[in-house]
Amino acid sequence: MELISQSLVIGLTENAPLVLAAIGFALLYRLTGLINVAYAETITLGAYFGMWVNTTYGLDFYAVLIPTALLAGALSVATYLAIFRPAKRRGVGVLEMIIISFGLSIFLRHGLQFVFGYPERFYDVPPPDTIFVLGVGVTSFRLLALVSVAVLSVLLYWFIRRSRLGLQIRALASDEALAQVSGIRPLAVTILIWFIAGIAGGLAGAFYGVGASVSPLLGWRQFLLILMVTLVGGSWGLGGVIAVGVGTGVALAAMALQFDQVLYAQLVLIIAFIAVLKVRGTRLTETAKV
Amino acid sequence: MLDWLDAFLITGLFEVVLIIGLGLLLHLQLGLARVANFGVVGFFGIGMYVFGILYVRVDWPFGDPWQFLVCAAAATLVAGLAGLVVGWLIADLDTDGVLVGTLGFASAVAIVAITEDELTGGAFGLGGLDFPYDFGRVKENEFLWLVITALVVAAILTYAWRVHRSPYGRLLIAVGGNEPLARSLGKSTFRTKLWLFAVTSAAMGLLGAMDGVMLRYLDVGHIGVGITLAAMVGLVLGGTARVWGAVVGVVLTVGLFDIVVRTYLPLPTEWYRQAIPVAREALFGLTLMLVLLLRPLGLLGDMRRDRLMRKLHGR
Repeated sequence: MELISQSLVIGLTENAPLVLAAIGFALLYRLTGLINVAYAETITLGAYFGMWVNTTYGLDFYAVLIPTALLAGALSVATYLAIFRPAKRRGVGVLEMIIISFGLSIFLRHGLQFVFGYPERFYDVPPPDTIFVLGVGVTSFRLLALVSVAVLSVLLYWFIRRSRLGLQIRALASDEALAQVSGIRPLAVTILIWFIAGIAGGLAGAFYGVGASVSPLLGWRQFLLILMVTLVGGSWGLGGVIAVGVGTGVALAAMALQFDQVLYAQLVLIIAFIAVLKVRGTRLTETAKV
Repeated sequence: MLDWLDAFLITGLFEVVLIIGLGLLLHLQLGLARVANFGVVGFFGIGMYVFGILYVRVDWPFGDPWQFLVCAAAATLVAGLAGLVVGWLIADLDTDGVLVGTLGFASAVAIVAITEDELTGGAFGLGGLDFPYDFGRVKENEFLWLVITALVVAAILTYAWRVHRSPYGRLLIAVGGNEPLARSLGKSTFRTKLWLFAVTSAAMGLLGAMDGVMLRYLDVGHIGVGITLAAMVGLVLGGTARVWGAVVGVVLTVGLFDIVVRTYLPLPTEWYRQAIPVAREALFGLTLMLVLLLRPLGLLGDMRRDRLMRKLHGR
């Protein structure tokens, strides 16, 4: 019983950024069809942007989140306009698109070190308050991350399923030509998707960064889990991504507590996710839209 | 005897030769069968670590060169079996599934290398590896190892060249071009991909073992994503569809940095610690993007048709 409660609290609070990042990645993947490996760097740069605003302007962590989200969203849109849109217009294939995003990921990951420096960086924040939930101590930053994920998830779900713009996004994802004929402006809607995805990734990066340190590999270390959560959970839409993300977080925490080794937990999850993909085979991609 | 030869030049040339080998194997997977292996370093790493563990941890009743040969053969076999398992997992998945499977495998290898520290040395690394011969001086030993590795890579090049001109090669091209069509014509695309993955992964493992000998000290820093990147950027720059693509591309990328910049450019010493390696990776990433955007077929362009195909098509 103690293990269950600990796993739930630790899993939900520590891995909330994973869910947030997976939501952003899933939006891009399900609505544009692109596996964007460089999304890892949207997360990393979110952490760096937050750290930079925090240490340069002395803003506290909560105030840092807004400029971080805007900067990460702008970066995401910039990568679309500078790289992926021209690539799409040139008729680059799916496989080559993934390789391009891999190249962009590597370029950003190493290029940012010339801007922010080589060593690990830290947020300049006072020690967070510790709050006990079901007997487990949790920092206020972790709780904020959890609350943010919950709020953003609800907002995004509502936005995609219920709002007029959300309807346009889904229409564009289903049939671009038909959507265009119906008066939807594909460029504006696509930019909106990239911006929202960037915000989600950037905020996830800030939450990861404030909880530990900021380093160039921050996003890349999470990318495989984000990708697997999206591919497996995406079959049931955005709700599926959130559910699988939460389940992954709790399972990671439970296994880390059992094995006393986080990496073993990741290994087990990698094997489990690949097994799921194998069982489902090629039926995966066409099963659902967000 | 080799006083005229710079030690950095030997290690630089070794790096170029090694990455050419990996690029050629990736050419068979990506260029012909269109299987995007983002986990090249996983197969390379499993070969390196299996070789290192067997060489250092097992008390063999015989010494080198037999010890090396047995350990390298075991490393090749294990990497081939890993290729078979990963190939079985991903052969019928789409590009997204292949990305997850191959990246996942590379991550799994790195995780095991870190966590199983009693075997692998974990984060501290694994020492005790050596050349299977001894000339008394490190430079001579390294130079001969460079020559031996170059011969192995030449064999891989010959294999890739022969595959291009064989029915098996044409089957791979058919699988890469239109898999459902190839399947509808009665070709077993699943078995073809499986065999391709097993053979190329085994060779990647052998190259990992050979790198282990040159390094003589294994740690997880040697099995980072940079290995996959170097092979991929070289291949893409030269041309994924051409046998010589990997050779030309790797010479122009890895050769430029690991030989020209490291050995011959008079740059401040402190730059070599972080600035140059970081710039190398950033420029590799940029090259990958720009080539695929501006010249997707690479410097050498599209596949050359062999004599039979030219005759069939009347040109």
